[in-house]
Amino acid sequence: MNDFSVEAKGLTKYFGAFRAVDQVSLEVPTGSIYGVLGPNGAGKTTSLRMMLGIVDPDAGESRLLGGHSPQTVRHRVGYLPEERGLYPGMKAREAIAFMGALRGLDWAEGRHRAASFMSELGLERVIDEKIRKMSKGMAQMVQLIGSIVHAPDLIVLDEPFSGLDPVNQERLEMLVRRERDRGATILFSTHVMAHAERLCDRIAIIARSARRFEGTVDAARALLPMQVRYTPRTDDPALAQMLPAGAERRGEAWQFPIENDAVEPLLARITASGHGVAGLSIVRPALHDAFVHIVRQVDAGFDADPEADAIEESEA
Amino acid sequence: MTPFLRNILVVARRDFLSIVATPTFLLFLFAPLFMIGMGALGGFGASQLADSARGTGRVVAVVGPGDVEPLREADARLRDALPGGKPATLELRVATSGVDPVTIAQEKGRDTYAVMIGPLASPRIVEREANSRSGRYLALLATEVLRARAAGSIAPAAPRFESLTRGGTSIAAQQSIGFGAVFVIFLLTLLLAGQSVGMLAEEKGNKVIEILAAAVPLESVFLGKLIGLLGVAILFIAFWMAMAAGAGFVALTQIDPASVAQAGASAPQLAVAPATGWPFFILAAFLYFVMAFLLLGAVFLGVGAQAATVREIQMLSLPITIFQVAMLSLSSAAANAPGSRLATIAQLIPFSSPLAMAARAATDDAKAVHLLALGWQAIWVALVVYLSVRLFRSGVLSGRRDWRFWKRTKDVAADTASRR
Repeated sequence: MNDFSVEAKGLTKYFGAFRAVDQVSLEVPTGSIYGVLGPNGAGKTTSLRMMLGIVDPDAGESRLLGGHSPQTVRHRVGYLPEERGLYPGMKAREAIAFMGALRGLDWAEGRHRAASFMSELGLERVIDEKIRKMSKGMAQMVQLIGSIVHAPDLIVLDEPFSGLDPVNQERLEMLVRRERDRGATILFSTHVMAHAERLCDRIAIIARSARRFEGTVDAARALLPMQVRYTPRTDDPALAQMLPAGAERRGEAWQFPIENDAVEPLLARITASGHGVAGLSIVRPALHDAFVHIVRQVDAGFDADPEADAIEESEA
Repeated sequence: MTPFLRNILVVARRDFLSIVATPTFLLFLFAPLFMIGMGALGGFGASQLADSARGTGRVVAVVGPGDVEPLREADARLRDALPGGKPATLELRVATSGVDPVTIAQEKGRDTYAVMIGPLASPRIVEREANSRSGRYLALLATEVLRARAAGSIAPAAPRFESLTRGGTSIAAQQSIGFGAVFVIFLLTLLLAGQSVGMLAEEKGNKVIEILAAAVPLESVFLGKLIGLLGVAILFIAFWMAMAAGAGFVALTQIDPASVAQAGASAPQLAVAPATGWPFFILAAFLYFVMAFLLLGAVFLGVGAQAATVREIQMLSLPITIFQVAMLSLSSAAANAPGSRLATIAQLIPFSSPLAMAARAATDDAKAVHLLALGWQAIWVALVVYLSVRLFRSGVLSGRRDWRFWKRTKDVAADTASRR
């Protein structure tokens, strides 16, 4: 037994000649909330499917819950696929119990838990309603409950927030945190940074089929320099020489990036200059900016040298 | 219960309920009523026709007054002993002068098959069709009268009839039982197993397949679907067996005891039995039905899983049906030639084996061989399911566009290989 719920090494998948996933490795610490971020079509879903053993990788391997092959620990895993699907003729309660039963949960217990989960998430009106009569968002919540009804140790959610209204997104975040507190490990993919920023202990960014970043949210944000926004009390053009190169004037304020170790000297310079401080903020860029930065860098690399990918591959 | 078995039952339960708990299932269940109704209508019409024609056929003998009674007695003696259909009613007339057999034959209101006229030793027989049975029968009657007259009165043989209660069924009857079993099993699998071709289309359409594939091994999804459908088939068969038994019971209580006794008297005729005995034969036939169902259902399911659209499913099911009919031909040929090399081949080919072995249970009293055959067929069910799952996993689930094996391009494979 080790401390990782997911250990994927060098997962690679070809669709014909197209390499959809290239050497993706992930280690998800047990008990954490882990985000897989990436633009559309980056290979997130295929990576998750390979990790769970739904499709076989062309290279690499995946181990779950302490070194087990994905097929042997199915009953301890919950999975919400990207393409949502339920039998439209089934009642919500039965659909949830069915998904639990597939993972080894007793039918009666599944029905019981279905009712309590649904009441908790504000769906008590539709417990005995058929899926086909529900709105898309409701059906998605039902499917989500079905994915976790058997109290799995590892929960994998593929784009769980897409298609949900803000209230349900909030409920889902609450649910994810509660499952983590119960002791489960949660791995989810998204391209909405706000959720990842709020929820995740660690993230991986996948772009152009390969993993481009792995670490904490703060580490991702630290990839970009902090942004300074400074508004002097006096309006003196000579001020620009005191500020780092690249400072831009926007209205009254100046904006420029700053390295970690340059903050105190800057403050000293500003205080000494006598221009005064009408406003000053030094902030880390949001995860959103870090994500866009990383993805753009990858794209720029591809545009500059379209063959780079192929060369890299022959080395691999 | 092992997890694998439990998974199968979870899937089977869902499928069974989703099929049975719909109004459409009632239509499906009662579909044979239409067939029976049509058959009854047709049969009623035919029996009306037969009724109106019955009793109108006759053969006529125009003979001297002294020959009338001996002919009547000869007719009574011979009529029941003749194998096959009974001869037409004999009408006897005393000869008068100027009688023309052709005129009698053309009398309105009756069908006259043959007319005999003249002395019994050299009668003239006018028949509607040359060499007809009716004409021969009249000649036979005349000969019988002459023989009785020449030999004087002879006490007829006084035989004691004993019926064989065991091993008495003729090989021909057993072969018919075998053929009947082949045909019934074929018909039931054709009607019921064919549904499995579209079963995975549902999951692919509503995307549930990914939930299933993530939660349980695909083998248990496939087997679960087959067993769910088998449950529907058994329900269907049990329903109609119960209906038939109920109808038989009601019929028994409705008719009067005399006719029941009469039916009992004709029971010896019904007492044909397959070589292995009825209980074993029925059990074996049922098990072979299950095997035929699972085998064909697995093939249909596997092929249907590859299809992307309903139209493809329909196109693909035609070759399978033709294959199925070919297996029927092989098995029925085998049923009609038990013990031949053809029969052995049909029993060995897995897809005709259930049919051919059911036929064998009717004609061959060896019982152990059936265990062997059931095992052999079960291996093939597993193999077909395994192959279907492999194809499905590597193709459809991977989501690639070139998954159809007949569309897979060589250069893609070569390209992938060279990159490794």
